[in-house]
Amino acid sequence: MNALCRQIRKDILVASRTSGHGHIPTSFSIVEMLYATYACMKHDPGNPAWDKRDIFILSKGHGALGFYCVLARLGYFPVEDTRAFGAYLSKYGCHPDRRKVAGVEASTGSLGHGIGLAVGMALAFNLAGSSRRVFTLIGDGEANEGSTWEAVMVAANLRLANLTILIDFNNSQVRSLPIANPAERLAAFGCRVREADGHDVDALKAAISAPADTVRAVVARTVKGYGCRTLEQNIFEWHRKSPDAAQLEQLLGELEAQSVNA
Amino acid sequence: MRRQFKDTVTALAAEDPNVVVILGDISHYLFAGFQERFPKRFFNMGICENALISITAGLSAQGFHPFVHTIAPFITERSFEQIKLDMCYNEFGGNVVSCGASFDYAWDGATHHAYTDLAILRMLPGMEVVQPGSRKEVDTLLRSQYRNGKPTYFKLSDHPHNLDIEVEFGKGVVVKEGSGGVTVVTAGPLLANVIEGCKDLPVNLLYFPTIKPMDTELVGRFRGTRLLVIHDGFGLREAVNEVPGLTTFYHGIPDQFCVWYGTVHDIRRELGLDPAGIRHAVGALLAHR
Repeated sequence: MNALCRQIRKDILVASRTSGHGHIPTSFSIVEMLYATYACMKHDPGNPAWDKRDIFILSKGHGALGFYCVLARLGYFPVEDTRAFGAYLSKYGCHPDRRKVAGVEASTGSLGHGIGLAVGMALAFNLAGSSRRVFTLIGDGEANEGSTWEAVMVAANLRLANLTILIDFNNSQVRSLPIANPAERLAAFGCRVREADGHDVDALKAAISAPADTVRAVVARTVKGYGCRTLEQNIFEWHRKSPDAAQLEQLLGELEAQSVNA
Repeated sequence: MRRQFKDTVTALAAEDPNVVVILGDISHYLFAGFQERFPKRFFNMGICENALISITAGLSAQGFHPFVHTIAPFITERSFEQIKLDMCYNEFGGNVVSCGASFDYAWDGATHHAYTDLAILRMLPGMEVVQPGSRKEVDTLLRSQYRNGKPTYFKLSDHPHNLDIEVEFGKGVVVKEGSGGVTVVTAGPLLANVIEGCKDLPVNLLYFPTIKPMDTELVGRFRGTRLLVIHDGFGLREAVNEVPGLTTFYHGIPDQFCVWYGTVHDIRRELGLDPAGIRHAVGALLAHR
């Protein structure tokens, strides 16, 4: 596991414990995706409104805690701020609000919206003759929403090569409406699809950076709760759960036992 | 009105490089000239109204002034959540321009009738809701609102009135003043039927091309009268009742689907929104003191 990604997971656990709010497994599944995406983006944590920045939209807004902790470690705000997660008058709601949090480009939460906004922004950059790129991360559960596929169809029809769709393929819909073959479906809809281990930062960077003449889609094979065996084996129990003191120690210990690389 | 929409947007596009048109596979023949002049800013994007709204909001977020256009019930009722969140909550804005107002597509049946749009959209914080009644009003209101960065809904009909009325965004108009203690309130193309129905009746007549923000100051001036809202939709009555202390009545859409076909004139007659039906409703209120 990437050392910083392990630290971000620890941040997520501590913020969840402090705030009493969860969504830990879904946040854990996207840590490397977020980290790799920002590594490939033009952005400036010291100037979030930089007019030449690339855009990232977390379409699966319920991954907000993971998103906040990644933004914090990138330097957008102190990581301690995230511990007010979900609190009254906090900037850090359980779904991200662009008007409150530095680095958040769109307020999301209702599934199937962020990807359409991303298509509109990518189209805007094309019309403006800009080289700015747009990235959006959707969940496989979110791929149940019809509006997701409307947006993909339009983006592919417009051949928006400045748009990259990242799919957190963590099998969250195994108990309702699974999307068994997202790579095939996205290719059938006209995307240039790459698949990658969603917890391998280098593999994700390579997939995100691969040349494409139309919409890129990166299907990241991920594990909900990745890094903590307790979470991985009990994803539904832990969907919105916050750890108590003993559970926090146990989960931090499980993370600590992971071997890390630079 | 659609032709005026095309004419106005084409003129705006000639002077404003940020004007973009998105169609939901409707009015594409009408916009052929626009497409020819501004091919990079014309998109007949498809029959996918949820995505159309989100994409419009995304364009607006990056400084463009997009107009998204398709049939009223599909772009408003189907895409209500996209308008609510992507345009309003995100404060990204965008111009939503519909056709097929109320019973313009009477012959297509209840799936194509559109009379809730004004009512549901006026509930959204930050939303501007406009119902022009004539070609001239379309031109005036589009020009005044299209680039203010706010989400604005324009409800257009293929059956405009041909009255020459000066309008201004956010302002109502006193069409006539009477002495009978009754004030008739209306909006949109129905004004023509209302004027004819109220001909020689001693009523005040108010006209509101803007549903939100409602001109509450003007409504308040008539607080001492009984107000009869006559409208081929919901929303105007609710907007008028923002003003406290009113006595209001409504003559318009019943609590049932309108299951007849024919033309807009047939449906209006069925609902008592033709001049004779309106005259009957106004006369009844005048008689009942």
